[in-house]
Formats: sequence, structure tokens, C-alpha cells
Amino acid sequence: MRRTVLGMFVFAVACAILASWPAHAARPGFDAKEIRIAQWGPQTGPAAPWGAVARGSALLFNMVNDSGGIHGRKIKYFIRDDQYNPAQTKAVVKELVEREGIFAFVGGVGAACGMAVKDYLAQNKVIWVSPSTAIDEYVFPVNPYLFAVYPLYDDEASILTKYIVEKLGAKKIAFFYQNDAYGKSGLDGCKTRMDALKMKLVEEIPVEPGEKDLSSQMLRLKNSGAEVVIMWVNPTTAAIALKTSQTIGFKPQWVSSNTLSDYPLMNKITGGLWEGVITGAFGVPPTADHPLMNKYREAAKKYAPEERFGTFYLAGVLFAEPLVEALKRTGPNLSTDACLKQLNSIRNFQGIGPVINWSPTVHQGTDSIQIQKCGPDSSYILLQDWTSNDLARWKKK
Amino acid sequence: MIEQLVVEGLAIGACYGLFGIAVAIIYKTSEVVNFAQGEMGMVATFVAFHILTVYHVPFWLAFVLTLLFAAALGALIQTCFLRPAKDPTVLGLIIITLGAEMLLMGLAGWKWGAEQKDFPFILSVQKTREIAPGLELNEWSMGVFVLSAVIMLILFLFFRYSRLGIAMRATQQNVNAAKVMGIKVERVFAITWAMSSVIGAVAAMFFAARSVLDPNFMMEPFMRAFAAAVLGGLTSIPGVVAGGLIMGIVENVFGYRWPEWKPIVAFVVIVLILTLKPSGLFAKHFVKKV
Repeated sequence: MRRTVLGMFVFAVACAILASWPAHAARPGFDAKEIRIAQWGPQTGPAAPWGAVARGSALLFNMVNDSGGIHGRKIKYFIRDDQYNPAQTKAVVKELVEREGIFAFVGGVGAACGMAVKDYLAQNKVIWVSPSTAIDEYVFPVNPYLFAVYPLYDDEASILTKYIVEKLGAKKIAFFYQNDAYGKSGLDGCKTRMDALKMKLVEEIPVEPGEKDLSSQMLRLKNSGAEVVIMWVNPTTAAIALKTSQTIGFKPQWVSSNTLSDYPLMNKITGGLWEGVITGAFGVPPTADHPLMNKYREAAKKYAPEERFGTFYLAGVLFAEPLVEALKRTGPNLSTDACLKQLNSIRNFQGIGPVINWSPTVHQGTDSIQIQKCGPDSSYILLQDWTSNDLARWKKK
Repeated sequence: MIEQLVVEGLAIGACYGLFGIAVAIIYKTSEVVNFAQGEMGMVATFVAFHILTVYHVPFWLAFVLTLLFAAALGALIQTCFLRPAKDPTVLGLIIITLGAEMLLMGLAGWKWGAEQKDFPFILSVQKTREIAPGLELNEWSMGVFVLSAVIMLILFLFFRYSRLGIAMRATQQNVNAAKVMGIKVERVFAITWAMSSVIGAVAAMFFAARSVLDPNFMMEPFMRAFAAAVLGGLTSIPGVVAGGLIMGIVENVFGYRWPEWKPIVAFVVIVLILTLKPSGLFAKHFVKKV
């Protein structure tokens, strides 16, 4: 009897010790020779086209390493496939942080995927620069380890609406949006601008992301007499919308968010109907004669000749630019705190994206977009250069 | 405007009906709901896309080759996945079809990638004809109306008058009695799956022409076609088509008035109808076999 009690006591103590043992012990993210940076992204599965973002960041890191690294340290870059599945994102991020030791994450496709690891990264004091999506929860309230570049969707919609009214002279505007946080955020921005202009939308139509028949929605938009339809939807829905609207003889000016700014892809899946569509953009066009873009185009031929030099691929470069800049500014005495200090003091930094400003109290780096139009042969026509949102609600806080 | 809504609703409804027929044929013979139906159609459509874009053959040749592939795929899945199951329950077979669905989706993702593609279909949704003042009908809709009517008629006659069709119905009613009567039931099942796969492939090509082609593109149409088939009655071919047409019209007319309710309105109607008539609108009431 006594032995049994003693055995149970030993077992309980062992369990208690095991339970109190730290579940994870993050390795430091750098040493004298390398800085370990990582990104998750869907390389397989339904969202695989967005996997180009993670591969795009590799282009910049390869260029940095070939020019000697950063203060003698090379960047060791890890890409993990999470298949756009938040549970997988959690698993790969945990593995990277605890087994490899990661100094910073960059990019990271998927709002839900990012939300699944946001707190974990902050708890482990891992820096996260430029999530590949725009959601309020990333930046409000300020997360000391998270720095965003992606313009918020309401800012983008507000700027586009202003352009539509003031430059295109449209009086009748309708909004066609995905019935989720992404679509509703765009709708909010549009309505805020319309209120400021003392105008009303002639129609606002929600759509579920998987819907394949949009006849009734397009007929309703046609019936509203809309001259311009702003759409905040995914590529498949946009393709069906354009095809269906052609069927019923409805030909408005279509305007969309930057998520549909990969013109070659959109033209391909709409059978050429994308020509003439106006979109927001948070990076200069891949075909632009821009000093940095020219440099990246040449580098891509060397490091990734198999990659399509498209919007998603370049977004990966754009997201990594400010992190590389902060690491350079940090100097040889690298530490997470030192790098955070530099990130917090980035002012007027510009790569191939908008001007970025971060401070200890504001980690949303920009509210600026360009406005572009799909021209013949999927060419990019710049309609309006970087423009910020004078109605941005977060700037007034 | 209401006429156009009805026409558009009938067109998409006919496509649901066509795909619903594919689901119903298998159900009619084995009482198995084939959850891989959408992905079988998806893979066949990818094969058509591959033949058209890689080998640049005329559309009709690619179409025929695809249908042959679809028939082989259907028979193969039945032979390799369902037939080996030992003393299977209907539920067990349904789970096997779910496994086949995952397998086909993975296969398509691996072979053709996840990026969306435009399927070069011969009937355009953009070429329209004004059939009445203010009423447009596109080539795609005309095609789907004609094809679903023809397939429905052929199948109706097939199940009623052909020896194979009668053998299929006999197999559904009582497998053991069918065996005693000399019907080779395994062959009947394989032929059923091949036929179902061919019809599913035709419907999937129509869906792809309206939307975009990617490994997930048939998930939503399958769900709606299945619901439409249940609405009409899974054992009645004309009922399945009628269920599809009702669903298309309900969705479009209600979806026009209340767009935010469009995705669920048809399902609400289905729940209401099935509460009153559980076997569906046009099928005889299901009586459990003893």
C-alpha cells in the first residue's frame, strides 16, 4: 500500500515537473554568420498561386547575400508550405521558431493564417514585417513586433472612389463585394468617401466567395444604371462577374482592389475581358522602367528564371525590402531590440512600393496606392501615382 | 427584367439538373451518393483542357476523347475503389467516394496546379441572341437546354426500355434477386459509373465555361446539383432535371430581390419541400427493403 502511494506521489511530481517545463525554447534567430528569416505561404493547395509571394522574397535575399550579406552575416531564408491552412501555419511556424531559430518573419499570405500565429510570434519576440494582407487586428492596437506595409482595404477603396468621382466624373457608382471582412472593409472605405462627397451608392451587392452563378447580381447591377462598379472580390468571382455581365449586355467601367492587379492572370481567366479594368496597386508595375524594378528584373533572370515576374512574385520583394533596410541600419551589433528600434524609426523609406513610415505608436506603414489600368496585351497603364487617403481613420486616432 | 431572370435561372438550373442526373444514375443503381462526382468531372475537364491547349486538336475531337476518358475513369473508380470493399454498407461506400474525391483533387493540383485557367469551350457565354425584345439568350444557355433535354430523354428511354437499363433498375431494387436472374451486377455497377462519369464530365465542362477552371471549381456546383437532385427526387431522372430548374429559378428570382440571402434561399425551399415530401417532388416515396 505504502509503495503504491509512494509510486503515485513520484508519478504526480514527475507530471508536475513535465507540465511546468517550458513547452518551447526558441533558439536565437542569428549568430555571427547568419540571420535566419522565414515565411509561410501556400506552395500547394487551392491558394498556391499566392505562393509566389514567399518565393519573391527569396530574390531579394539572394541579391543581398551575393553582395556580401548584411554586416558580414548572410541571410538564411526558410519557406514553409502551409497550404493556406491556419492549423498548418501554426505547425510550421512553431517548428521554425523552436527548431531553426528565426529572427524575423516576412510576408505571410492569408489573414486567418496570420491571425493563427500573430500572438505566438509576439510572445516569442519574433519580428514580423509586412504581412501579405491588410487587416485591422494586425496593427490596431500596436503590436510591438509586427510592422505592416500592405495598405488597408478601406483606405484603398476610399482613394479609388475619389478617383472615380473626380477623374472619371461618374455619378452612378455601385459596389459588388465579397461577404466577409475583406469585402466589407472595402465597402466601408467607399461609403466613407461617398459620404464626404455627399453621394450615395446606387447599389451594393454582396456575394459569397464560392458562388458560381452571378446572373441575378449582375442583372441587379445593370438595373441600377451604374456607370462604374467597384468590386472587392476574389479572382474567380471577378471572372464570373465579367463573363456574366457580358452575357446580359452590361458593360460598366469595372474598378477593383489591388488583389486583382495581376493583369496577365486576370486576362487569362476572363478570356481577355480584363482589358480596361482599373485597379489599385501597392507596387509599381512589373514592366515599369524603374531603377529598382530594372535591377530586380535582371536578378530574376539569374536567380529564378522559371518564375513569372508578376505581381505576387514582386510583392514578396516589396515586403522584404523594409526588413533588409532595418537590418542594414541596425549595424553589426544585431539584436531583436536593436532591429525593432530601427524599424520603429523608418521614415520615408521607399522601394518598389509606397513610402513607408513607422513609429513606436503607428505600425501601419502606409495608406498609399497607385491606380493602374489593364491595357492591351495585359499591359499596365499608370493612371495616378502614389496617392494617400486624406480620410484615413487611423491617422486621426 | 423578370423574363431575363427566369431565363438565366433556367439555364443554370438545367446545368444543375444535368449534373444532378450524373449523381442520380449511381444512386438509382446502388443507393450510393457519389461525393467524388464533382472531382471526376473536374479531372475530365482538365483532361479536355490539356488536350485542347497542348495538342491543339479541334474541340469536338477533344470532347469525344474526354468523354472516353471520363467513362474509363468512372469504371476504374468503381472497379478499383468500391468493388474491393468487403461486405460494404452504403455508408462505407459513400466514405470511399469521399476518399476518391480527395485523391482526384490532389492529382489535379499536382498535375495542373492551383492557378485558375480559362476553359476554351465551344459555346460562348458572351455570344448572345435577342430571342424577344429585351430578352437575351447566350450560346451556352442554348447548348445546356438542348443537351440536358436530349440526355434526359435518352436516359428515360434507356431505363424504361433497354435490357441494360432494366438490369440497372433491377440491381437497385434487389441485388441478390438480380444476381439470381443472371444479371452480372458488378458489370452493371461499372457501366453505371462510366455513364454517370460521362454525363458529369459534360456538365462540368459547361460549368467551367461559365466560371474558371481550377481543382476546386466543382465543389459548389456539386453541392447545388445534389441539392437540386434531392429536391426533385433522386430516383427520378425527369424529377432531378425539374429540381435543377426549380432551384435555378428560385435562386435567381429571390437572389435578385435579396442578394445576401441568395446562397441559402434555395436550401430553405428544399428543407420546406422535403419536410412535406421526403422522397422529393417527383419520386415515389421510399420504402425500406426487407
